[in-house]
Order: sequence, then C-alpha cells, then structure tokens
Amino acid sequence: MIIAEKVSYGYSGSIRTVSDLSFHIKKGEFAAIVGENGAGKTTTVKLIDGLIKPTSGKMTVCGLDTASSRVSERARHVGFLFQNPDRQICQNTVREEIAFGLRAVSGKKRSDEIDRRTSEMLELFGFTGDEEPFSLSRGQRQQVALASVLAVDPEVLILDEPTTGLDYRECVRIMDMIREMNEQSGTTVVMVCHDMEIVLDYADRALVMAGGALIGDGRVKDIFRDEELMGKASLLPPQITGLALRLGGDFRDIDDAAAMADAVCGRMKEGKAI
Amino acid sequence: MTEIFQYTPGNSPLHRMNPVTKILLTICVCVAAFVTDSLIVLAALFVFDLLIGLTGGVFRKTLAVLKGLVKVSVFLFALQALLVRRGNVLFRIVTDEGLMLASKVVLRLIVVCLPLTLILAVTKISDLANAMVQVLHLPYPYAFTLTTAIRFVPQFMEEMTGIMEAQTARGVEFDTRNSIKKIGMILPLCAPLLISSIRRTTATAVAAEVRGFELRNHGSGYKKYGFGPIDLIAVLISAALIAGAVLLRNIP
Ligand SMILES: Nc1ncnc2c1ncn2[C@@H]1O[C@H](COP(=O)(O)OP(=O)(O)OP(=O)(O)O)[C@@H](O)[C@H]1O
Ligand SMILES: [Mg+2]
Repeated sequence: MIIAEKVSYGYSGSIRTVSDLSFHIKKGEFAAIVGENGAGKTTTVKLIDGLIKPTSGKMTVCGLDTASSRVSERARHVGFLFQNPDRQICQNTVREEIAFGLRAVSGKKRSDEIDRRTSEMLELFGFTGDEEPFSLSRGQRQQVALASVLAVDPEVLILDEPTTGLDYRECVRIMDMIREMNEQSGTTVVMVCHDMEIVLDYADRALVMAGGALIGDGRVKDIFRDEELMGKASLLPPQITGLALRLGGDFRDIDDAAAMADAVCGRMKEGKAI
Repeated sequence: MTEIFQYTPGNSPLHRMNPVTKILLTICVCVAAFVTDSLIVLAALFVFDLLIGLTGGVFRKTLAVLKGLVKVSVFLFALQALLVRRGNVLFRIVTDEGLMLASKVVLRLIVVCLPLTLILAVTKISDLANAMVQVLHLPYPYAFTLTTAIRFVPQFMEEMTGIMEAQTARGVEFDTRNSIKKIGMILPLCAPLLISSIRRTTATAVAAEVRGFELRNHGSGYKKYGFGPIDLIAVLISAALIAGAVLLRNIP
C-alpha cells in the first residue's frame, strides 16, 4: 500500500531532514511512527501523502508514484489529519466543514450521499452540526478535523498526533473509532504519536525515527522491549512494558495490565517470591 | 521566499553598525534615488546597493532579492514602455523616451527596495526596535508595531502554505496549473488565515502585557547602542550620496 524506497528529503539546500527511508506498509496494517521532537516524523508522513516530493528515492502510495500524481487526486484514497487542526478547518459550521471534504473529493456540490455521510459523522462524534468550529475548544476542533477526514472513508489514513489535546476519554473514543475502521474496512493507518501507551494499545507495527533516519521497524511489542533502540530514539517504553522488563523472567512478554495482574497474583498464590 | 526577511548572523562592519545609522543610510539611498533624474546616478546607486550586500556578507541574499525584484520590474518596464507616448518612435508604439523613463522607474524601484530588505538581513529586528526606542526616543508601542509587522510576514506566508497544504490533502485542487481557478479557491481560505492571525495577535498581546509591555521606555534597554567610527563613515557616505545625487541630478 505504501512503499518507500530510499526516500530522502531536505527542506532547503544540502541539509537532509530525512534520509534513506525504506519501508513497506501493507494494506490493513496499523503502523505508528515514533521518535523525539524534530526526528522527522511529520516530514515522513508528508512525504507519504505527497505534500512534499522526495529529493531522491521513490514513494508509492496505492500504486501511485507521489512524484507524478497530484495530491488532490489521491485525496479520495488518502486521508490526512494534520498536527494543527486550524489549518484544515475553513468553514463556518461543523456540518459544512465535514461536507466540504466530501464535496472536494467527489467533485459534486450536493448529493444525498454527502448529506447522509455528514449526518452519520455528526452523530458519531456527537456534534449537532451548527457549532462554529472556531469557537470550539482545541480538543473539539481536533475532533471536527478528524470527523471530516474520516467522512471520506479513505483507504489510507494518515494521522499526525491525533490525540494531542484530547482528554483521556475522548482519546480512547477516537482511537477506538480508528481501530474499528482499521479492522472493519481494512483501512491502512499510519499514525504519528508521542503517547507510547496508545501506540502499545492500538498499533501493530512501530517505525522508530531519530535524526531523520529510520532506526527501528518491527512489531510494537518487540520494539518496546529493545532497550538499546528505545534509548537511541530517546523514548521511554509504556509503564507496563517497563514493569515487565524490570520483573524479567516469565513476566517479560506481558504487555497488558490485566494479564500482568493475573500473573503476579498467580505467583503470589503459589507462594513464590517474584 | 520567507528567508528574505530573516536575519543572517555575522560580524561584518554592517552588522556592527548602530541600527539607527543603518536606517539613516537606507533613507539616504532612497532620497538620493528620488532626487536624481540621471540614469548614471541610479546605476551608481545600484552598484552601491550591491556593495552594501557584499560588505554585509549577504551577497547571495542580495541576489535572491534582486531576482524577485527583476520579475516585478519586467512587468513594470513593459507597462511604462508601452504607455509613454512622447519622444521618437523606435518600434511601433515604443518611443525612446518611453524606454528611458521605464529604465529609470525600474532601476529606482530596485535601488530603493534592495537596502530596505538588506537592512533586515544584517540587523536583528529586536535591535532595530530597541535602538529606535533608545536613540530616537520613539515610543516603544510604535517600534513594536513596526517590528511585529515585519516579523509577521514570514509567519503569515508559512501559515498560508500550511493551510493550502492541508486543503490540498483534502482534495481541493491547489495543485492545478490553472491560476484563475486557483485564485478562486484561495478566497475561502482567508477566513482560517485571518482567524489564526487574530488568535496569534491576541496571544502576542497578552504575552507582551504580562512581561511589562506598558512600562517599557527609552531607558529600559539593557544593551546600549553606541556610535563608533563605522557609524561616522556611514554618515559621511550618506551625506555624500545625497550631495552627489543633488549635484549630478541633471546629467543623463
Ligand atoms: N517547513 C520547514 N522548513 C524547514 N525546515 C523544516 C520545516 N519543517 C520542519 N523542518 C525541520 O525538519 C526537522 C524535522 O521536522 P518534523 O516536523 O518532521 O519533526 P517531527 O518529528 O514531526 O517533530 P514533532 O514531534 O515536534 O512534531 C526539524 O529539525 C525542523 O526544524
Ligand atoms: Mg510533527
């Protein structure tokens, strides 16, 4: 679905912001890109969407080379949620905002399908539709932006920090929604995220970036257990993985709280020291 | 494009010069360019501009600005050359006087615009504001308004690029070749641009307020902006520029 072959990019002159990225994300995968601030994550996802073209190398998304096809053409296949929702929102009501993306993608001004899809998204996100996006809170604006991206039902969904600014409940609600799309419709998801707990809970695969290079790529569980790699990327594993690593032995491979509790209780019942 | 308004660090004579002297020099170049009516003097001023860029170690930026100006100039030149009716006809409707006038207008534009952008390349905006407040006793709010306006230009452009990117990703055809279509699509985006700018302005105002904006005056600065030999030289050059322009205003 997304194939990067030795992709490099520099914003200006000779400095390369990302260099030699090669990866292959398959249809239906849920991948997370992690790394410290300025590691080049946003640059990488922009390259995937073709908003910026590789200086060298080749990026193919949904079978289209990003260098030779237009971003707006690919918009029906690829949805992109930006780090800053305010750049995306441009209409006066939430309903218009959601319909705007649908109209741009379908090229139609009005259709029953657009109305139906808009109402569906409004209901899903709990908006009445008459709110003014710019007077909503930052977290709510983030949701409006996400709703208008999801409305299009893209094959590839790119999310740049979808959960920043959301409270925990909203965060879980939105992530559950994204997981549902991923599992039900087979949407390929690429998510940039700083919250390792969320990455562990939702993503299957993690791409680790540091200094513009891809330094790790694998199953989330394996990546988080690789202490050397995590150190290099200046990342801390989620608490539960950290605990599992500290306990070691049989506990090493556990990565969810309930299983950990069961394991510890089991050990205690047996009367053994941990 | 956005780098044009940005400061280039350095230690050239121009960097060390008092910001007020730089403003004076810039103004003198502008005045000289408007006083004179001679193509030769204008050409000399143009060379002087290039020298400024060279001394300041920002020659590449000078050329970049020049490139942008040339694009505007071509348009302006054609307009002038086609509209002026006086003089001897050289080619259909183009007259010799028309060509002469067009050259002067264009050269004048370039001569005036170059130092205005170069001053920003060799002076930190904060130094510019502080020196004006300290030396010229300009009330701080005015200096602040001036410098903020300059500072916002690149931010504004960056924001616009960001918004257009976001809309393209949603399927709005900003990547079309048709420029008329593009202009039509840009209009609806003015709302988000304005709103985010107003948000930022309010935020800047609050941030300035809590840091004692109101209390600031010409005595508040920590850094002192003194005058040295370089400034004296610059003042002399400025005077020479004006004098030269006035004396030589009637040569061709
Ligand atoms: N438009 C731009 N022009 C020039 N340099 C840029 C631009 N955008 C980003 N950079 C530089 O590229 C590098 C990587 O930026 P990027 O936005 O990809 O980081 P990131 O991993 O998304 O960081 P964060 O976690 O803070 O979002 C940074 O050093 C940044 O300074
Ligand atoms: Mg980022």
